[in-house]
Amino acid sequence: MSQCLLCQQVLHPQMTLTQFWRWQPLPVPVVCPRCEQQFERITTMHCPQCGRQQTSMTVCHDCERWGDQQLRNHAVYTYNDAMKAYMQQYKFQGDYALRQVMMAPLTQALARQNYDVLVPIPVNQETWQTRGFNQVTGWLQNQPFQQALLVTADHKDQPQSAKTRQQRLLTQQPFSLAPNAAMVLAGKRILLLDDVYTTGRTLRHAATQIYLGGAKAVTSLTLAR
Amino acid sequence: MNDEQSLFGRQLPLTAGPANSSAQPAIVSVGQRKQCQRCHQWLLPTDQLPNQAWYCRQCLQLGRLTSQDKLYTIAEPNRFAQVTGPILTWPGKLSPMQGTAATAILDLVRQQRDQLLWAVTGAGKTEIVYPALAWALAQNWRVAWVSPRVDVCLELAPRLQQAFGHVPQTLLHGNQTAPYRYCQLTLCTTHQLLRFHAAFDWIIVDEVDAFPLATSPLLQTAIATAQKPTGSHLYLTATPGEQLQRQVRQKRLAVTYLPLRYHGVLLPQIAVRLIWRWRESLAKGKLAPKLVRQLQGYRRRGQRFLLFVPHVVDLKPVAQALQQAGIVGGLTVHAADDDRAAKVQAMRDQTVSFLITTTILERGVTFPDIAVVVLGGDDPVFSTAALVQIAGRVGRHHDFPTGEVTVYCHSQSRRVRLAQGMIARLNRQGKRLGGQRQ
Repeated sequence: MSQCLLCQQVLHPQMTLTQFWRWQPLPVPVVCPRCEQQFERITTMHCPQCGRQQTSMTVCHDCERWGDQQLRNHAVYTYNDAMKAYMQQYKFQGDYALRQVMMAPLTQALARQNYDVLVPIPVNQETWQTRGFNQVTGWLQNQPFQQALLVTADHKDQPQSAKTRQQRLLTQQPFSLAPNAAMVLAGKRILLLDDVYTTGRTLRHAATQIYLGGAKAVTSLTLAR
Repeated sequence: MNDEQSLFGRQLPLTAGPANSSAQPAIVSVGQRKQCQRCHQWLLPTDQLPNQAWYCRQCLQLGRLTSQDKLYTIAEPNRFAQVTGPILTWPGKLSPMQGTAATAILDLVRQQRDQLLWAVTGAGKTEIVYPALAWALAQNWRVAWVSPRVDVCLELAPRLQQAFGHVPQTLLHGNQTAPYRYCQLTLCTTHQLLRFHAAFDWIIVDEVDAFPLATSPLLQTAIATAQKPTGSHLYLTATPGEQLQRQVRQKRLAVTYLPLRYHGVLLPQIAVRLIWRWRESLAKGKLAPKLVRQLQGYRRRGQRFLLFVPHVVDLKPVAQALQQAGIVGGLTVHAADDDRAAKVQAMRDQTVSFLITTTILERGVTFPDIAVVVLGGDDPVFSTAALVQIAGRVGRHHDFPTGEVTVYCHSQSRRVRLAQGMIARLNRQGKRLGGQRQ
């Protein structure tokens, strides 16, 4: 008997007629339908620049304030309470098994993107030591990716998530290019992958570096906005 | 408090411990498998991190332990400040029957036997333990009073504070913000015992058959490891499960019975009333006329009541149906309710006249002069033990020793019958001791 990873309830997967006729291995659910419903998918009505869920398809206020055309981001879910609770347990409590919850939706979302090379946002050495994993690459199943970015050490006196919007916007460039980056990036369309888009500061810093590495275009995908 | 004291009889992951502490890896390999040294559960082969460390998912809520961590501990020295003044400051008096049970428990504690106190709901279990607890504290024993339910701990804390006024006490639970203090008497949830190791000479487990302890090997191990090898424990319950009853039959657990409430009135028996397909009519926003009439009667007489429903999703439709029938002045309460404590307090303060709730209020709460109604008593969530506990909410107060328990079912069910049987059996025993009918 398998249990829901989030609420520990016993799962009763039900086979649909479509699945029966397809005659393929059944998808194994890892969360119960009720927990899955808590996560809110972003529909087509979103900001074209940052991917925020809204009622129109015009550029949102935050993106206007940035005033650049540097980045096009898509997000899979809104950053609601369920998503915050999920991130809390996965990232900050370090429950690596929870990566399975988001594997399938992220794989679907990646399949819809046009890109040549996937570049996940890296974590710094200290986080890697204490957390033991990179929360972004944890979600990837078999997708090839390139670790083209490096985190320059000790820029983080406090975690990004503990700062206010103003403090976040003032963050210095934390990334540098990996030694082999130029080879990987030159003339390619790059997709950056991150967990949460909050102000867009991190992704813009990363995009700047990727362009310096000679990429043709940079878009990004985040799990939540 | 210094660092040393916070480690007495505890197991904590630290980066460096005091000089006299001993450390052991948090995750150890036993053959092919890995075991967490805090919760003593086995890790799954998939619980490995990309940096090659292993981590335990079972006790993650207390902070993640990985194979890179070390658990520091100092053996329990029982180094407490001298208690100034009398240990037991409880002004009350035990009834003769309670007194007999209290003496029996004290004798078994002296022999350091593991034991069970099987006393009916509303027998005054807590007070019966006081003499034995006072004796244990006088022996300079370190004692823990634990319960799987945080509500029980919260209700108990002020009572113990009053009964043992000069004994330093600490209350631990998941939402506790006050820092840990080393005290002779610790009141905590069973989860918190995972942080202790061979600390307690005596552990009192209140409501031992309550969720989640009854079905959780994790918490059962926690009690075993928090107890000293020379220590013993006392289980308190009104409805011991099959496993405990077997241990009693096998003489592995000494037992003290108390089949009569402290005021000497027998337990209220469950009355069953059938309502055909109540769930379907509830889906249409209607409740059975029988039930509505009964509740209207309660409201007219000013009788306060608890209405139990099987699931959280049933709360809202039932509340709406009652409102339509003109029954207002109540609240709904469930486990994930943020205002749960405040709502229960409002019921105690008599500012609301009824609560619609789930099994979360089946035990550990006392309201004087209350009637109990269960809707859908044949639903599997109402186990026999749960029904007996729910019936036990009624008639607990000395001045209001009687009351009604009505269970509405779609059809007769085995669990309800068994609950009636259990109450009848306890009442037969109680009558022999001189209990009076309602």
